[in-house]
Amino acid sequence: MNIASDPLSDRELVGRVANGDRAALRLLFTRHHARVYRFVARQTGSEAVADDVANEVFLELWRQAPQFEGRSEVSTWLLGIARFKALSQLRKRKEDWLDDDDAAAVPDDADTPEVAAMKQDKGAALRRLVDALAEEHRTVVDLAYYHGKSVTEIGDILDIPVATVKTRMFYARKKLGEALKAAGYDRGWP
Amino acid sequence: MSAAEKMTRRDEIETLLPFYLNGTLEGAELATVEDWLATDPAAPAALEAAEAEFSGALAANEAIRPPADALSRFSRLLEAEAGPVREPRAQSLLSRAWQGFMGLPVGVAWAAAAALLAFVVVQGAMQRPGTGNDVEIAGTGEDAAKLPFVLVTFKPDAKMSDIAALLGDNGASIIGGPTASGVFRVAIAADKAADFDRIVAAISAAPFADTVTVGRKPAE
Repeated sequence: MNIASDPLSDRELVGRVANGDRAALRLLFTRHHARVYRFVARQTGSEAVADDVANEVFLELWRQAPQFEGRSEVSTWLLGIARFKALSQLRKRKEDWLDDDDAAAVPDDADTPEVAAMKQDKGAALRRLVDALAEEHRTVVDLAYYHGKSVTEIGDILDIPVATVKTRMFYARKKLGEALKAAGYDRGWP
Repeated sequence: MSAAEKMTRRDEIETLLPFYLNGTLEGAELATVEDWLATDPAAPAALEAAEAEFSGALAANEAIRPPADALSRFSRLLEAEAGPVREPRAQSLLSRAWQGFMGLPVGVAWAAAAALLAFVVVQGAMQRPGTGNDVEIAGTGEDAAKLPFVLVTFKPDAKMSDIAALLGDNGASIIGGPTASGVFRVAIAADKAADFDRIVAAISAAPFADTVTVGRKPAE
């Protein structure tokens, strides 16, 4: 495998993984781990869970590579697996899944997102407001803006209809706009 | 009546803006958005709002730092899994990939380039300009997050070495990305709007730069 002069596509690497190529899997891990980890951390609110689930996702790739049919991008397939495993973890850990560090990262109840946002500059405010979106809204925002997924791919990952993806995006952006306005900011950058 | 059915036409178009920005919109929906952007006086402000959300979502995600030893720990888990054993390699994959990284066309090697860049950022490594062919990857901590920045995409045939030279010559550095659609967050070392505009103009004028969107601009 000559990565330097002729980099293999994700699909080609999955083909190699299907034939037992551990190096190919490590390269896929290098390519996609950060995004899978962040996706799960945002889903679950726990980086400890994200660490476990991300490893499980790539072990699942190792085991299931021969069944990959290439009907979606590898990254979309991985995020779909991650979504499923994250939901399973959440069901198992309904209690005590927030460690101290995670709890510290969650906005406290004393401030509404709007009030908290006013304490920071606009960029930080917008980041915090994205964080404060309802999970179903934040997820479509993350998948579109951070993961670069299409409406159809988001539907595949979340197992929801395309129309629902659009509706969630509409309300997510509406909430962000309202929250920014309430915090005293124009929506655009200065 | 569902919520979606209550949307106005403008609502529907604005809902597509995130997908316009991430490059996944196509066909009739892409044409609709492009036509609206070209004809509606309110469109630029709406697009600017979506770009701000883009920046916010990038920052929120990139604030989460995966463990630096993730690959080594995963490798240990993998070795415990059943499967054929591969012969040891003389040189690490990352090392071999990095050697060829600078000469790769972005379009051809996009996934590898993106992955390597993301991995190096995650590892906290920094390649400092010295030969004129290094990409400087700034830290992604709070300091980097406060810098003026632009969101940049490059043409598929752009060479990483050319990008490195362009950024180095203008005191710019990659602090985030690329997203799956190839958007880099590039910090601009300028504390005055005029300097910022000059650097952004230089980046925009590069033949291999595709789109340059202003993110945070310093005050006048």
